[in-house]
Amino acid sequence: MRKRRLHAAVPLVALVAVSAIVAHASTASPTRLDPSLSWCSPSSDHLFGCGEGGVDLLALVSRAELGGVALAVVVGLFGFVVGTPLGAIAALARGRPERAVSRVADLIQAFPTFLLALVVLSSVRSPSRIHLALVFGATAWAPFARLALAQTRVLRDATYIEAARALGLGRVRVVFRHLVPQLLGVVAVQLGGTGAAIVVSEAALAFVGLGPRDGVSLGAVMDQGVAAMLRAPHVLAVGALSIFLTSVSLLWAGRGVEAE
Amino acid sequence: MRGAGGARRVIGLRLVEAVVVLLVLASVVFFALRLVPGDPAALILGDQAGPAELAKLRARLHLDESLPLQYVRFLRGLVTLDLGDSLRRPGVPALRRVGEALGPTGALAGVAVGLGSVAGVALALLAVGPWLGERRRWIDRGLVTVAAVPLLSFAPVLTYALSAKLRLVPLPGDPDAGVSGLLFASALLAVPLAAQVGRTGRAALAEVAPLPFLTVAAAKGATNARIWLVHALPVASGPIVTVVATQLGALLGGAVVLERLFERWGLGTLILEAYSSRDLPVLEGAVVASGAIFVFVQTLAVAVHAAVDARARR
Repeated sequence: MRKRRLHAAVPLVALVAVSAIVAHASTASPTRLDPSLSWCSPSSDHLFGCGEGGVDLLALVSRAELGGVALAVVVGLFGFVVGTPLGAIAALARGRPERAVSRVADLIQAFPTFLLALVVLSSVRSPSRIHLALVFGATAWAPFARLALAQTRVLRDATYIEAARALGLGRVRVVFRHLVPQLLGVVAVQLGGTGAAIVVSEAALAFVGLGPRDGVSLGAVMDQGVAAMLRAPHVLAVGALSIFLTSVSLLWAGRGVEAE
Repeated sequence: MRGAGGARRVIGLRLVEAVVVLLVLASVVFFALRLVPGDPAALILGDQAGPAELAKLRARLHLDESLPLQYVRFLRGLVTLDLGDSLRRPGVPALRRVGEALGPTGALAGVAVGLGSVAGVALALLAVGPWLGERRRWIDRGLVTVAAVPLLSFAPVLTYALSAKLRLVPLPGDPDAGVSGLLFASALLAVPLAAQVGRTGRAALAEVAPLPFLTVAAAKGATNARIWLVHALPVASGPIVTVVATQLGALLGGAVVLERLFERWGLGTLILEAYSSRDLPVLEGAVVASGAIFVFVQTLAVAVHAAVDARARR
């Protein structure tokens, strides 16, 4: 049996749990403005201080955190579910399908997400998290397919696969019953990496102005922090730290799935 | 016979692929901007516009023609490099604005690729070579740590510390910043790239390290520097070139973030401006130009890889 290091997921779970508790317990709204509190420093009333227009940063960050992690988990799982079998099937088929899937995955993985997001977001009137999920979903399968492809290339000549084929199992059956379970450990590590990349990309898009309209995003906090860098450096610190912690805890959680 | 002919075949295939990728990208941009629910002309002019104005703009953008006809016109414009005038700056061809924005972004990204590759290769050599002894592992851990810190987190914080507080470096968006501003911005952009190049290069060099030809070189009296730089590095250069190419998308995204952070003029700034003001010809031109640079560098990386490593020509 493989030993899974579940405690590696503790930072992520703690981060999400604290955000959820704060988001539900706090009475402050992440979008309500109070100009008299603009850029106020951290205090007992506002633990993280306030941002532009007096918005409570703790409320804003906790909700942005939940939204970002939810997006990362949903899109990451989608990429995992679609990409892994696709890569495994392509490697079993060999020849032209194998080369085609491998090449398309390479291209998509290297393609600038920013451009893709821009194109999709310009075709809708008001961008939302759903549209961002579409953008990231269109690219998230590629790393999983590449990994599954590389792993299946090693496994496809194993005797138990050959035996399964000889017993008359179809390609799809072989993939789902014999290959995918073998691949889970290796490919799941990618989940953490993909999740972290999605959180950072979402924040980067919001930072440059392609985020959700309500401004509830870690990138929007960062944008405020940069705008008021000299007047209110705490906003910058809150934004930078929350993006960093979210990204690192997702990476850690992914590593925990890796066999020891 | 898999010499130069093989390399030519691989590069030929990649060129066909590059054209297909560009065509798909251009078509997606075109239809995404045309299939918006509602009238692009109304979006551009706002609610206050009268019907006469709307009709005039529609005619200028050829929005009054059928969609297939517009598409053909758009593709012809791409080939003849004439997409019409910018809407925001009437009288200036859209592609000239794109060309003007390419310079600053090209300088930023180019210097970053140079700095990142050199730093990454140097770190990889230190992490595998004999110079640091047992302390080699620190470099490895450092690379993993740095690769985990997003540019979006550390770039603004470093800017705050180095530019705003300590005033060690000028703000790169400042017109007087000049070369040192460019170097600072490029160095920030180079950090994640150096970490990726370092990790890949370390793995590639570690594979080469036990091979007998290095022992032969050492037996013939080559210095450590000669063994690693002249003998080992070229063999490990394939994965290094490839990782630079795969980081290109991330590099462009990073450049956009930095341009926004420093309010520096460039391709990212232009695309965002064209997006918010619905300057369709500029937006289309800029997106297709970015895509063209992307596929060009990808193809270049394949060509370089095939040139230095015979195994890549298969």
